[in-house]
Amino acid sequence: MIEELKEVWRFRELLIQLVARDLKVRYKNSVLGFFWSLANPLVQVAVITIVFKTMTGMVKVPNYSAYVLCAFIPWNYFQTAVLDSSQSILLMFPVIKKVYLPRELIPLSNAISNFIHFLLAWIVFFLYLYGYLRAPVLITVLLLPVLVIIQFIFTLGVSLYVSCLNVFYEDVKYLVTVLLNLFFFLLPLIYFTENVYFAHSIPPKWHMLVYRLYMLNPVACLITAFRKSFLQPLPAHMFPHNLPLDYISIEISGVFSVLVLVTGYAYFNARKWQFVEKP
Amino acid sequence: MDQPAIELRGLRKVFRMIHQRHGTLKRAALNLLRRQKKEWVVAIDHLDLEVAHGETLAVIGRNGSGKSTLLGILSRVYRPTAGIVKVNGKIAPLLELGAGFHPDLNGIENIYLDASILGLSRRQTSERLDSILEFAFVEPGRDLRSFADIPVRNYSDGMKMRLGFSVAIHTDPDILLVDEVLAVGDELFQHRCLKKISEFQQAGKTIIFVSHQLWVIEKVATRIIWLQDGRMVADGEPASILARYREAEVSGPSPPA
Repeated sequence: MIEELKEVWRFRELLIQLVARDLKVRYKNSVLGFFWSLANPLVQVAVITIVFKTMTGMVKVPNYSAYVLCAFIPWNYFQTAVLDSSQSILLMFPVIKKVYLPRELIPLSNAISNFIHFLLAWIVFFLYLYGYLRAPVLITVLLLPVLVIIQFIFTLGVSLYVSCLNVFYEDVKYLVTVLLNLFFFLLPLIYFTENVYFAHSIPPKWHMLVYRLYMLNPVACLITAFRKSFLQPLPAHMFPHNLPLDYISIEISGVFSVLVLVTGYAYFNARKWQFVEKP
Repeated sequence: MDQPAIELRGLRKVFRMIHQRHGTLKRAALNLLRRQKKEWVVAIDHLDLEVAHGETLAVIGRNGSGKSTLLGILSRVYRPTAGIVKVNGKIAPLLELGAGFHPDLNGIENIYLDASILGLSRRQTSERLDSILEFAFVEPGRDLRSFADIPVRNYSDGMKMRLGFSVAIHTDPDILLVDEVLAVGDELFQHRCLKKISEFQQAGKTIIFVSHQLWVIEKVATRIIWLQDGRMVADGEPASILARYREAEVSGPSPPA
């Protein structure tokens, strides 16, 4: 694996070109390119806020939209990057059939260009949070670099699996779409992690176990962590108590993400030479 | 430069063939249950070859004789099943010109992209940009350099190919792999490509090319190998091999004596 990484390093100029290509293509066709690609999450956040807060009054949280947006930005990154990666190698197929390049550059450049977009989306979020909502700045906002890096590692690991599998099994991208739709409900996007911890249907002695299992999913853990570190605690009437910012879960997620990345890369390396020879 | 440019020892390449169109997870699961017949196709069978620096080697043979597989192995797209491949020098494949182009990017952006796929740094590409544009777009009486600023999806196929060829030859390779690219493009451009190839020859570069156009081979090759079913059936001086090849191809599928 060290040899493979050295090879990637030798091709770093190409990696930069591939990332630049993705970003140019994405932002080229209109001046508002960046905002167009933000349109989807923003519209979803607006609709969810209107439905759950304004219309039905089910959620009584000040600045609910900020909680939703804070969750949708990491969710959108994960979803888009994984979906893009499922097609990434097939799109580059004419190239890799004719010219040698380290194949892992393809999912890697895809994860990086989506990551850059992800970072830009946070700027929009903070403008909204501090500029429009005038929310107080918490010290834990400094956790941002750690959290986004863990998410990058996990997303890249999953992308390596998905991009590779989709070369050999063409139904993987449909499976991924279905799984991502299910995943939506496994993440604290429209609800809060406290809803899981204090679920009425679960006896109190199981609360901690359910919570730990729930937080094993790095994306759920990271979304929870993003909310806890950027936003005010929820008002006291909602839950018996607020869950603290859970450093242990973040550490577990970090370790788990690295594991996914290392095994994903090993799997990718084992199969990458078969891409052009698949029957 | 005592070492040969290319050295192949006992090269063998086998492909797996399955008689179905697409793999799906569903089918993979079903295949666990029923035994599947695996078929292997031998594309290259025990090939030994040494190519010296400065040689222009033409590879001939019928479709499916292993010519393109050989170029694929040399450009590191395929991994050999067995045998040793040694390449001394920088290889530039002129296999599918402009394969790396993105339709939404303009000519200049695609030059940078394609050049980096072929191993040039950004700085090197910038230095050669004028020369690349000139070779691709300027002809006696015509200057199409304004095309460089429009997206490549508006290019004609010939135009795309010219740009791809221009980038590939500007990567300054030691060994040039050419696969049937001269078959496309207009007369004038073909002529310029051949001129470029002879410039490469004069500069002492190694060229390996695959072609069915025997007149091109006659013109540029200094040596020919003839492949049949993955084996080398003849190797040597162009005139005599071409004569035998023409005779065999016309008289039918009997192997050469």
